[in-house]
Amino acid sequence: MVVIAVTGKGGTGKTVISALLIHFLSRNYNLLAVDADPDSNLPEALGVKPRKTLGEVREVFQESRDEMGTMNKEQWLEGKIYSEAITEADNFDLLVMGRPEGEGCYCFANSLLRGVLRKLMRHYDVIVIDTEAGLEHFSRGTIGGADYVVVVTDMSKKGLSTAKRIKELSSELKLNFKKIFLVGNRMMNGMDEEIRKFSDEEGIELLDLLPYNEEIVKLDIKGEPVVLIDENSEYAKKVKKIATRLVGDSNG
Amino acid sequence: MAERKKIEIPEDVKKVESVGEEAEFPFDISPMYEGERIRKNEMYVELGGTEQPGFELVLALPEEEVEDMKVTIVGPDLEEMEEGKAYPYAMIYYVAGSQVETDLEPVIERRNHDFQNYLEGYMHLNQRYDIWIRIGKGAVKKGLKSLTQIAKATMMLFKNELPFIEKIEALYITDSALVEKVLNEVAMSIYEERDARVEALHDEDVDEFYSCTLCQSFAPTNVCIVSPDRPSLCGAISWFDGRAAARVDPEGPNRAVPKGELVDDIGGEYSGVNEFAKEESGGEYERVKLHSFFEYPHTSCGCFEVIGFYMPEVDGIGWVHRGYAEPAPNGLPFSTMAGQTGGGKQIAGFLGVGISYFRSKKFIQADGGWYRVVWMPKDLKDRVSKYIPEDVRDKIATEEDATTIDELKEFLKKVSHPVVTGVVRPVDGKKITEGWVEEEEVVEEEVAEEAAEAAPAVQAAQPMQPMQPFTMPTQMQFPLQLPQLPQQPAAGGVRLIIKDAKIYIDKIVIKKPEEKKKGGK
Repeated sequence: MVVIAVTGKGGTGKTVISALLIHFLSRNYNLLAVDADPDSNLPEALGVKPRKTLGEVREVFQESRDEMGTMNKEQWLEGKIYSEAITEADNFDLLVMGRPEGEGCYCFANSLLRGVLRKLMRHYDVIVIDTEAGLEHFSRGTIGGADYVVVVTDMSKKGLSTAKRIKELSSELKLNFKKIFLVGNRMMNGMDEEIRKFSDEEGIELLDLLPYNEEIVKLDIKGEPVVLIDENSEYAKKVKKIATRLVGDSNG
Repeated sequence: MAERKKIEIPEDVKKVESVGEEAEFPFDISPMYEGERIRKNEMYVELGGTEQPGFELVLALPEEEVEDMKVTIVGPDLEEMEEGKAYPYAMIYYVAGSQVETDLEPVIERRNHDFQNYLEGYMHLNQRYDIWIRIGKGAVKKGLKSLTQIAKATMMLFKNELPFIEKIEALYITDSALVEKVLNEVAMSIYEERDARVEALHDEDVDEFYSCTLCQSFAPTNVCIVSPDRPSLCGAISWFDGRAAARVDPEGPNRAVPKGELVDDIGGEYSGVNEFAKEESGGEYERVKLHSFFEYPHTSCGCFEVIGFYMPEVDGIGWVHRGYAEPAPNGLPFSTMAGQTGGGKQIAGFLGVGISYFRSKKFIQADGGWYRVVWMPKDLKDRVSKYIPEDVRDKIATEEDATTIDELKEFLKKVSHPVVTGVVRPVDGKKITEGWVEEEEVVEEEVAEEAAEAAPAVQAAQPMQPMQPFTMPTQMQFPLQLPQLPQQPAAGGVRLIIKDAKIYIDKIVIKKPEEKKKGGK
């Protein structure tokens, strides 16, 4: 099993990259896609209509738990997640984490969730997680961990400082990722020096620099799934290479 | 109790029987298959689920009635099913053994989920009448032909893992009419009976309680003790949940706590709980009474759904839940009281509980139970209304009746709430409060009452009373931390820790408890 978390400052295109990684990898691997960013739109990028979010299932659990009598609550939660929260797309399964919890105590619900997700996740070859930069699901342990973290940045100072912050956060929280990579997105010609320098200085290996792609912008504005992108475009080819590198890395 | 007997199988349905252990199975059996999700396009057939009825049931029977390792399949078997379709499904197990009793049925039944998920290519979800099974195409390709193979593998696991099962027999039904019939005529009443048993299960009926330390990351000294009559503060964990979790992970956050000796049956104090609490709180406190509000109350974590607060002015207890944003009659909103009480401390005068604790027959029984309750928000009262004894139900005020102490006093007097004339606690018929004699004397009575009953801890809580009227500025973090000090001899006196406080006091009266004892009784 390889778990890849894709993160970065909002608006850098991490969801586009997540979606394409999922699209390409799901052809050869049994894959689970996880949307762990309440602000993102991974399902739309993939062209999949999501079912209930994990957050919604958890709320139903919180509301109905007093009426469960002697029913086993972990089994109840597992059943709901498997039947109502997991969306089966053609080639992969999708799980949307949804909004963070409301008021009240979620210790027990989250503890049960962790157990259910751990058992579920180990059955996939590849898991791709689109996650917000705060890595909240990792720090809370709802998602057990990731092998590789791919930090997506654009050419902004902010994108780079978020990348730095993610690296610091993961060591502070002892998240034990095997490796953190950097991907530059929407690069213009001759503007990549800064990013290469940053990668060297911070010791975050640069996987690749992806060009600005007009097709993606067009798909995005029309609200069409980004996975419809021309596979022979430079952008798509580069993401495929990244995918092979990440999954190959763990197999080799 | 519903009679336990074998299911009658009509003559006119197809039936296949098989007795004895299977030499080998065409599928792997291992816990590593737990959690395996069979996708729709990899599925051979679906059993139960949303489209078809399904249930599982374990029945304890006398030994002579159970034919060990026998399987009966009634209705179409796997080979006769059409790929991609859903079918009705009932799994009934007859079990026998010298230790097997009706009480164990749900415990055994629950393991069907675990064991069936050990089977490669077989997904089992949910429980009781909600079961949802998918069998993978892969399993069929590898040689799975009949539900007999599934039943025999499951029975083998039952006998290996639960050695007290001496004999086990399975009846699997896929015949639609019979599944419906047995579900409605037999299974449902047994499930209902089980839930009814839960309501009737009390602390004295079990040998162990369960702990919960899930919240210790927020409240390091908090130890939730979950008993049949006292669910966790967060409301999420019942005694049954604790037992289930402790079985899966005995060293995990929910551990078994042997009750030990009964120290106080009314307060709900047990030596085993005291020892456990002492150990787990790092010696922070040594005694816990599960059903007491004032004396060695349960610690409050911070996650609790509802907080109870003592109002000396009326000698009654109010409750406010997390969702009620307005200040309670004592002038404080939930958040402020929760902030003061949380963190795993024993604070006399405040108590965090789960909403389901209001259902308990032992609900703060040491302090009068519902008869000591004077106020709760309407929302909360409506939710638990059916658990409130009828004779006091209308006497408990909500925000529609009172939002301040004065209004509350007025209301309680008008409805003749028990606190006005003195509360008699139902558990033993003892009169535990004297009622409001005169405004001035309320304070004395109160302290006296508590002092007579016990601990210096309680007295520590009382200095709140004479201090009114006082105002509590919002910047105050711990307006009055009233520590319990139960382990220290009374000679130690009272310890008050006041941090960042601004307190305006008109008058303070401090008297020796002994004097008041006389005055009170």
